Amino acid sequence: MRSQQAREDAVSVDVAGGEAAARISTAPRSAPAEVSEKPILDVEGGPGGISRDALRELWAFREVLWAFAVRQVTVKYKQAAIGVGWAVVQPIAAAGIFALFLGRFANVASEGAPYLLFALCGTVIWTYFSGSAASAAESLVTDSALLRKVFFPREVLPLAAILAGLVDFAPALATLIVAALLYGFVPGLTWLALPLVLAIVVLFATAFGLGLSGLNVYYRDVRYVLPFVLQLGLFASPVVYSLASVPAGSRDLYAVLNPLGAAIDGLRRIVLHNEWPHLWVSFGALGWCAALVVGSYALFKRLERGFADRI
Amino acid sequence: MTAAISFDGVTKHYRGTREYRALRDDLAGVVGRISGKKRSPRSPVRALEEVSFEIPEGQSFALIGANGAGKTTALRIASRITYPTTGRVRVRGRVGALIEVGTGLHPELSGRENVRLHGRILGLSRRDVQARFDQIVEFAEVQAAIDRPVKQFSSGMQLRLGFSIAAHLEPDVLLVDEALAVGDAGFQAKSVTRMLELLREGRTILFVSHNLYAVEMLCPQGIYLRKGQVVLEGPIQQVLRTYLDDVDSAVLNAHERGSDSVFSGGPLAIEVRGEGPDGRSSLRTGETLTIRCDYECLQPGLRAFFHFGVTDGRAGNIFLASQVVDGDEPLELARRGTVTCAVPALPLLPRVYEIWGEVRVESGWGNFIDWQQLTRFRVESAEEISSVSHSAMDAPVVVPFVFSHRNDATQIAEARQVSEEVTP
Repeated sequence: MRSQQAREDAVSVDVAGGEAAARISTAPRSAPAEVSEKPILDVEGGPGGISRDALRELWAFREVLWAFAVRQVTVKYKQAAIGVGWAVVQPIAAAGIFALFLGRFANVASEGAPYLLFALCGTVIWTYFSGSAASAAESLVTDSALLRKVFFPREVLPLAAILAGLVDFAPALATLIVAALLYGFVPGLTWLALPLVLAIVVLFATAFGLGLSGLNVYYRDVRYVLPFVLQLGLFASPVVYSLASVPAGSRDLYAVLNPLGAAIDGLRRIVLHNEWPHLWVSFGALGWCAALVVGSYALFKRLERGFADRI
Repeated sequence: MTAAISFDGVTKHYRGTREYRALRDDLAGVVGRISGKKRSPRSPVRALEEVSFEIPEGQSFALIGANGAGKTTALRIASRITYPTTGRVRVRGRVGALIEVGTGLHPELSGRENVRLHGRILGLSRRDVQARFDQIVEFAEVQAAIDRPVKQFSSGMQLRLGFSIAAHLEPDVLLVDEALAVGDAGFQAKSVTRMLELLREGRTILFVSHNLYAVEMLCPQGIYLRKGQVVLEGPIQQVLRTYLDDVDSAVLNAHERGSDSVFSGGPLAIEVRGEGPDGRSSLRTGETLTIRCDYECLQPGLRAFFHFGVTDGRAGNIFLASQVVDGDEPLELARRGTVTCAVPALPLLPRVYEIWGEVRVESGWGNFIDWQQLTRFRVESAEEISSVSHSAMDAPVVVPFVFSHRNDATQIAEARQVSEEVTP
C-alpha cells in the first residue's frame, strides 16, 4: 500500500516524464540519408522461385553460410570425446565389418583388390553422403527458432550442413590414402581426377539435402522415411559390391542416374587400378547432379515462402 | 516525408492451424477431391485483413492490440520472415528486427562465439561485430561468463545477451516485437534508454508491446489492430484509450453479469459500489465519485476504519481515501449502515477503474475485511480532452496546471526595481 503522499509525488513525476517524452519526440533529428541511397524492400505474396535476385542474395549472405558451417563443426567436435577421430573411425569400422561378413564369409568379389580397401572406397563416400544428407534434411527443423525470428535466405542452413560435412570428408579421404599406401597401392597420375569424383558426391549431396530439407518442413514424414531410404541407397549403390556386378547393358545408365555409382566406381578406378574414371559416365553423372541441384533449389525456393508458417 | 514502412492492402490467411501435416493428410485430400467427396474445408485463420498504413521516416509508431490481433504477423511480414497472402509491404532502408530475441543462441557455443555468429546472422559484418563486441557484452552485463557455453547461462543472461546483440544493430528501420520485456527492472530501464537513443538518431521504429507504459514513452503515435484490421491510427493517447476502452468493456460486461459483490469478515459484511451523480456505476471526468459501502455488523458498537483505493489495474493505487492515514476518528458501527466516501471532481480519464478497500479494527491490528478488489466503476467522457495535460497510462489524470516563465526582461525589471529600492 502506498501512502497518498508517495502517490502524489509519483503523479507529478509521471506528468513530467510524459512531458519529457513529448519533448523527445519533437526534438530535431539528424537528417535521414538521401532517399536514393537506401535499399527498398518489397514483400509481396505469390510463389517464390529461382531468380538472379535469389542468387545475389545468397551471395550477400555467404558469411552467414560460413558462420553456420563453422558453428556446426565446432558444436559437433566440442561434444565428442574422440572428436575428429570419429570421422575416421566411422568409414573404417563400416569397411571392416563389410570385409569380415561380405568379403570373407560371403566371398563377394572385390575387383582383385583386398576387400577392406575395396569397401573403404565405398564407405568413405557413403559416410559423407548419408551424413550430410541427413544433417541437411533436418537443418531447417533443428533451427526452427531462428526461422521464425530472423531473415536470411533459408537455403543457407542445409548448405551449411553440406559444407560442414566436408570437414569430415577430408580426414576420411586421408585415411583412405594411408590405407592404400599400406596395402602397397601407390598414388599415380590418375589421382588428379579425384576432384571430379568429389564434385559428383558433393553436388549430389547438395541436391538431395536441399530438396529434403524443404520437404521436411512441410511433411514431417521425411524424418522417418529418410533412414529407410538411406538404407536402401546403401545397397542400391556399389558400396559393398562392384559396379561390374550390374549387367553391362544398363551399367552406364545406372551409374549416371545414381551418381554415387559413378563416384564410387571412379574412386576405385583411381585408387585400386590406377585408371582414369570412365569419362562419359563421370561427366554424365556430373551433369545430372548439376541438373538435380538446379531442380531441388527451385523446389526449395518455391517451398521457402511457407516455412515460417509451417514450422 | 517519404514513408519508411508502408503496408498496402496486406491480407494474411493461414490455411488451418500451424499443425504438423503428414503426407497422409494431403493424400487424403487428393483422394477426396478425386472421388468427389467433399471434406469440410478448414476455415482459414484470418491474421490480417486489408491492413494499410504508412510510417514516415524518422518516426516511431506503436502497434497496439489484443493477443491474436495480428501485430506479430504484421511485423513478421515487414521483416520478411513470412509473406502476405495478398497486398504488399514496402520498407525503405536497412531493416533490423528484434523479434522475441534471445532464444536463437546455440547452447553448446560460448557467449563469445554466439555473439559473433548472431551478429553476422542479424546483419553486422565481421568488422562491425568485432568493433562492438565489448559494448555488446557490457550492455548485457555478462562479462564474467562470456567465454562459457551459453547453456550455463541463466535464462535472464541469455535474453539480455540476445537483446544486446540486436540492440547494437543500428539499422534504418527497427521492428521491435515484445523485445523489451526481458530482464529485471534495471535492465528494462537500460533497454528503454537505448531505444530512445536509437530514436534520437533518426531511425524509424515500429514497436509492438504489451507494456503500455513503455509504448507511451517511446511512441508518439500508434496504430490499433483488432482482429487483423486497423481500427485507429493517430496520437498514442487516443489509440491507447480506444484500446483500453475495448478491453474494459469486455471486462466490465463480464463483471456486471453478476459477480460476488458481498464481502465479509468476522462480524462484518459489506457491499461496495462506486457511483456517479445519478447513482449508476458510471460517471464523467470531473464529476463526483461516491464510494458507497453498505454494511451489516453483528456486533454493533465496534469501531473501525475504512480505507479505499482506486486503481486502473496497475500494481499500486492511483489515489487512496483512507481514514487511517488522514487521521480521522474510527466509525462506530451500528447493526446496519452505509459509509460513503465522496471524491468531488474526480480527475480520472475514461476507463474502467477498480475500487479496492479494507476495513480495519480500531486498535490498528488486523482487518475485518482484507485489502482486496471490491467493485468496479466506469468513467466516461463526453468531449475530447486535450492531450497536453495527461498521460493515458502512467497517470491517467487530468491535472490542471499553469506555467509561469521568468525571462531576462522580467529579471532585469526586477533587478532595476530592487536597485531603485536600495539606492536612496
